[in-house]
Amino acid sequence: MNLHRCLTPLLLLPGLLGAAPDAVFDQQIQPVLTANCAACHSGKTKTSGFSVATVDAVIAGGNKHGRAVIAGDAVNSPLIEIIKGHLTPRMPMGKVLPEVEVTRIEDWINHLKPDQQAQAKQDWRWAYRKPVKQEPPNVANAKWVQNPIDAFVLHKLEEKQLPPAPAASKRQLARRVYFDLVGLPPSTGEMNVFLEDQSPDAYTKLVDTLLSDPRYGARWGRHWLDLVRYGETSGLEGDGAIGNAWRYRDWVVDAFNADMPYDRFIVKQIAGADEHSKTRNNYAPDIQGHIPVAYLRLAPWDRSNLVADDVRQNYLNEITTATSSIFLGLTIGCARCHDHKYDPIPTKDFYRMQAFFQAIKVEDVDVPYKDKAFADFAAAKIKEYEEQLKSGPDKKALNELGKKLLAQLIQLKTADVKNRELTKDDLRLELRRKDSTVFTAKERQTHTELFEDANRTQDIEERNALDSIEKTFLKRLQQAVKTGKADNAARYQTLNLEDLKLEVGKASKNILPKHEVERHRELAGKVGLIERRIARLKPRTLSVTNVPGPPSGPGLPLTHILKSGDYRQPGEAVEPGFPSAITGNSEPAALESDRYRQFPTRGLRMTLAKWIANPENPLTARVMVNRIWQYHFGRGIVETSSDFGKNGSLPSHPELLDWLATKFIEEGWSIKAMHRLILTSSAYRQSSENTAAKDNTIDPDNHLLWRFERRRLEAEQVRDGILSLSNRLNSAMGGPSVYPPLPADLADAARYGREGSSMWESNESEADNRRLSIYTFQRRSLPQPMMLAFDAPVFSESCERRSVTTTALQALSMMNGDLVNEEAAHLAERIATDAGAGASTRITKAFETVLNRPPKPDELKKFSDSGYSLVSICRVLLNSNEFLYVD
Amino acid sequence: MNRRNFLTQSYLGLGGLAFSAMAAPSMSEGPMVPKPQHLIAKAKRCIFLFMEGGVSQMDLFDYKPALEKYAGEQIPKPEGTVGEIATFSNAPNRVIPSPFPFARQGPSGRWMSSLLPGMSQCVDDMAFIQGIKVDNNNHGPAVYHTLTGNMFPGSASIGAWATYGLGSENQNLPGFIVLGDRRGAPIGGASVWGNGFLPAAYQGTLFRSGATPIVDLKPRVDMTPKHQRDELDLLKWLNEKHAAERSNTGELEARIAAYELAFRMQMEAPELVDLRTESEATKKLYGLDDAVSEPFGRQCLLARRMVERGVRFVMALHGAGGDRWDDHGDIKGRVPKHCKEIDQPVAGLLKDLKARGLLEDTLVVWASEMGRTPFDNNLVTDKPGRDHNQYGLVVWMAGGDVKAGSTFGETDDFGLKNAEAPIPLRDVHATFLRLLGLDQNRLTYLHAGRYKKLTDIGGKIITQVIA
Repeated sequence: MNLHRCLTPLLLLPGLLGAAPDAVFDQQIQPVLTANCAACHSGKTKTSGFSVATVDAVIAGGNKHGRAVIAGDAVNSPLIEIIKGHLTPRMPMGKVLPEVEVTRIEDWINHLKPDQQAQAKQDWRWAYRKPVKQEPPNVANAKWVQNPIDAFVLHKLEEKQLPPAPAASKRQLARRVYFDLVGLPPSTGEMNVFLEDQSPDAYTKLVDTLLSDPRYGARWGRHWLDLVRYGETSGLEGDGAIGNAWRYRDWVVDAFNADMPYDRFIVKQIAGADEHSKTRNNYAPDIQGHIPVAYLRLAPWDRSNLVADDVRQNYLNEITTATSSIFLGLTIGCARCHDHKYDPIPTKDFYRMQAFFQAIKVEDVDVPYKDKAFADFAAAKIKEYEEQLKSGPDKKALNELGKKLLAQLIQLKTADVKNRELTKDDLRLELRRKDSTVFTAKERQTHTELFEDANRTQDIEERNALDSIEKTFLKRLQQAVKTGKADNAARYQTLNLEDLKLEVGKASKNILPKHEVERHRELAGKVGLIERRIARLKPRTLSVTNVPGPPSGPGLPLTHILKSGDYRQPGEAVEPGFPSAITGNSEPAALESDRYRQFPTRGLRMTLAKWIANPENPLTARVMVNRIWQYHFGRGIVETSSDFGKNGSLPSHPELLDWLATKFIEEGWSIKAMHRLILTSSAYRQSSENTAAKDNTIDPDNHLLWRFERRRLEAEQVRDGILSLSNRLNSAMGGPSVYPPLPADLADAARYGREGSSMWESNESEADNRRLSIYTFQRRSLPQPMMLAFDAPVFSESCERRSVTTTALQALSMMNGDLVNEEAAHLAERIATDAGAGASTRITKAFETVLNRPPKPDELKKFSDSGYSLVSICRVLLNSNEFLYVD
Repeated sequence: MNRRNFLTQSYLGLGGLAFSAMAAPSMSEGPMVPKPQHLIAKAKRCIFLFMEGGVSQMDLFDYKPALEKYAGEQIPKPEGTVGEIATFSNAPNRVIPSPFPFARQGPSGRWMSSLLPGMSQCVDDMAFIQGIKVDNNNHGPAVYHTLTGNMFPGSASIGAWATYGLGSENQNLPGFIVLGDRRGAPIGGASVWGNGFLPAAYQGTLFRSGATPIVDLKPRVDMTPKHQRDELDLLKWLNEKHAAERSNTGELEARIAAYELAFRMQMEAPELVDLRTESEATKKLYGLDDAVSEPFGRQCLLARRMVERGVRFVMALHGAGGDRWDDHGDIKGRVPKHCKEIDQPVAGLLKDLKARGLLEDTLVVWASEMGRTPFDNNLVTDKPGRDHNQYGLVVWMAGGDVKAGSTFGETDDFGLKNAEAPIPLRDVHATFLRLLGLDQNRLTYLHAGRYKKLTDIGGKIITQVIA
């Protein structure tokens, strides 16, 4: 093995990134061409029919010289000839491109592969036309074909004379499908059952078992949460919790487990509880529908900015953009300020689509728990917490400390006043006194009213009035004190617990002793924690509703096209409508509404949802089957799985994609049916090694699937997998999120927070530290370092495909972090118990548990000879590539 | 030992000879490999000093004697700000003159507040940009806008962009290091140094004060270096065997290398944060002898040690939680304290970089997320303070090709906003990239159907501050 070649420093290998079809072109070539040529050769100007707007256009060339780029042959490419002046007129006109730029373009051409060039010829509008189901092609090696997927895959391979890989071993296959479907490795027991099952349908049975395992929902629900930018805090200003988002998370997990048809899954998230009845008056939608629409609330959101229209517009922009890319693979967001540069999406279409969301009212809704057992549990727990609030030790201690500190505060303030000038704060206390010798009852009353009004209205006039009266009063008070006509101590008796809270809350210069302030904060933090725990168990869920509309409210505001996307520059008003690139027209949509139009704001989102979740929509089924394919194979048939437009990559197997999309609809949009089909194909069951094809130059990146693509575990699979090996994974599903401990040296970063003393809480029960990772609280500003190191997204934007990086930070967290070290010890203990005494039986058991295979003789010897403790051996195995990668 | 020698030695020396042979060829691969600048620029690395909370520009840099005249009066409603200024408390906008005396400094004659005696000695190395407009009038979005170019979380940090464009010179240390304020995390948390849509390799690595600068850097207490080395050797043996049985092993081999690198980093990172080798004079220069300036002084000194070792981008954060520059009340009491915390350290950093010849190829940027209003925000207190002002941000830069002693942008008599058109923050970002030799239009990344840029729709390079 060549270590010289591979030792890449610190942060390595972007790996399977979802990049553009030609990253070199995008990053290095296009900017040069744009800077030098776009004046005459932009997508609009296109002088001589040549444009540098896209890679396809550059390759295709112009009217005069034809194809401008010949892949692998820079010397004979007209683009280079014209830049070098071998063809005239030399370009760019009147300039000579610097040598370094020319070399860069030559390099790009020389490294360009012919199939990239061939792809450029395909029509990029393919995705806007309805998929047509084609018969699977005939293939020579018919016995390889388990189902039509294989016919499509093998056909392409045979065309290129690439042999498929042999079937993966049963061990490999079991490990692969366990991680794929439930996110965890098989236990040794589960592996043995499968190995011993010699029946021909052993594998199919295993797939069925795993698909009905509730952990399937947690694994595949996680994919969906990546897409919908699931987070549980605002991400901005204080990063406070956004409400009970966990109800949505549980809904997603349940939906996957129940194999909810995908069309329904879409409708519920966009338009849950936005239903109506064509026949009934006063139809009340299903209250449970308010949970899935939390999808429309998950983005980071800043409500504290006072330019409310701006906040609202940003919100509508986000959900319009997210909905288009998640469900339709359309990058419609680019059309917010200007017509889309690459796809046929005019700005108008962005706002026509946005108009479907115009009726949304952002608010949480009480949605009763459907599950009786959980409802009872929550009620009992809330009662218990409320008891603690009433009479728990912390509350008691806080009350007592409060009383004590208040007395101290009164004393300190009384003493303090002698040494200083009186201020407004003193004046306000004086004005609280019924027995003030300085101010009459009427004056006090006047001040109270002004003070309350000014604070409530924040009105300038009110403020000025208050200010002016306070100035006058303060002078009078100061005078009275000087002349001994006022009691300079009595007013501090009016200090109350609210004042104490303000004093304790001050960040610095507290008049009270520091340790007492800290103690008060700590106790208040504990009490606050109980209050938050109650709130999390209350059936109030993150949701949206519709504004009421006439007759009980004003009509819907019109949606306007905004110039440059600026809310202050409204242009033409538009009606709700679908993207014209797909429908071929810009007609307003026929809105879903109830028969009597009793609820004029209801049905807008439903109209959009039903159009998306429609078998006639050319994109919806394709986009979803492509996502399913991507999660199984590591790469979609369309590699850019949220962009099916011009900048997206073309499908590697267009006929297969269409076949799958139509099949998906025929199967009633059943996601599990798609899993079964894909998982039982020969294509999926291939080995990740293919000696016969391994050094081929036709398809070195395996786009045609001549082997299974080996993959590194995702962050959650690493953590949950390790916990399952040590047998300490807490298998409880659902409920409010949990707070596994942060690494000790991260505690300082978690110190400040608006919700109390800390940004990170501790779990009530230790067992909650070991729940599946999907149940970890998703605080946007405080991602778990180990998860982040293993490429878990930060949940602020939709993530359609995780990157795979290899970094030293990952190695550090695996070598020195708490998880691996603690679980290695537990794992060792478990193995010692199971395997009994004897070094080699223990090592064998450790290999079987962690790597799902017994050690080879040389491995057994090497590990035995090392003389390392079982904990060391477990730690080494958990760190090994064989554990972290799935063949 | 000069800097170049030091670099070479630290690079090859740390892992011992056993690794030097492997380490050398690695310079040609991986995302952090040094990449050429797009354009010629002297600055090869950057120290970015970020003051969280919104710095009161008219108490530090932007001298406004006219405020005296209007003291206590209401200023006329500013035009063209569409309710963005003073919306926070809808207050009467009573002018507060700066309570601190100003004086002209250095040959360039810039007016500086008496609160900044140290930085006043460096004005002739700095270039100021005044009256910058950020997209939002609140901390969270404004911090994101300043540090990622977009007011919502999810975009790439400027440090991630810089390392994406330039890689890093020292492969044994992270290319983008964040020095946090020990009082707490910034308002956007890890997202302000996140990679956003860029590959995870470009995310910033948070260094903490103390012996364990990176999370999980230190082996467990019961793990001796010898024991760990032994385990790693066994791991390497197993991994190499695993790779030998497979094809397409690039990633597998990279992971083997990552463990060796992590092992070396365990040694190099603690040495990096160990200030014992610094002279007393140097420590004093950075204000480490004073408890108030010691924390930020330490951050600034560490920043110098990092750029000296070839770290591409260092972000030092100042202010957290209640202790940030968000001076809604008590300008008189709070601003001097913040200034004292940073003045000596920042001045020390500039002087030290200059003395070591590092200022020539190191860009130093000082920024906050917004400015403050010239008037009281009337939070019913006796000690007046200033409100948020998204039109009033002042940024200064020094080093590299920065035009020393220059100023761009003039604010109105009140220091409220730019006297002419506001300077969009993206112009500052474009200038910043240009000073690092990066072309904003070439530094792009295709994400969600769009070529993302730090400057979004593109900014105008402020040539007036470039030499």
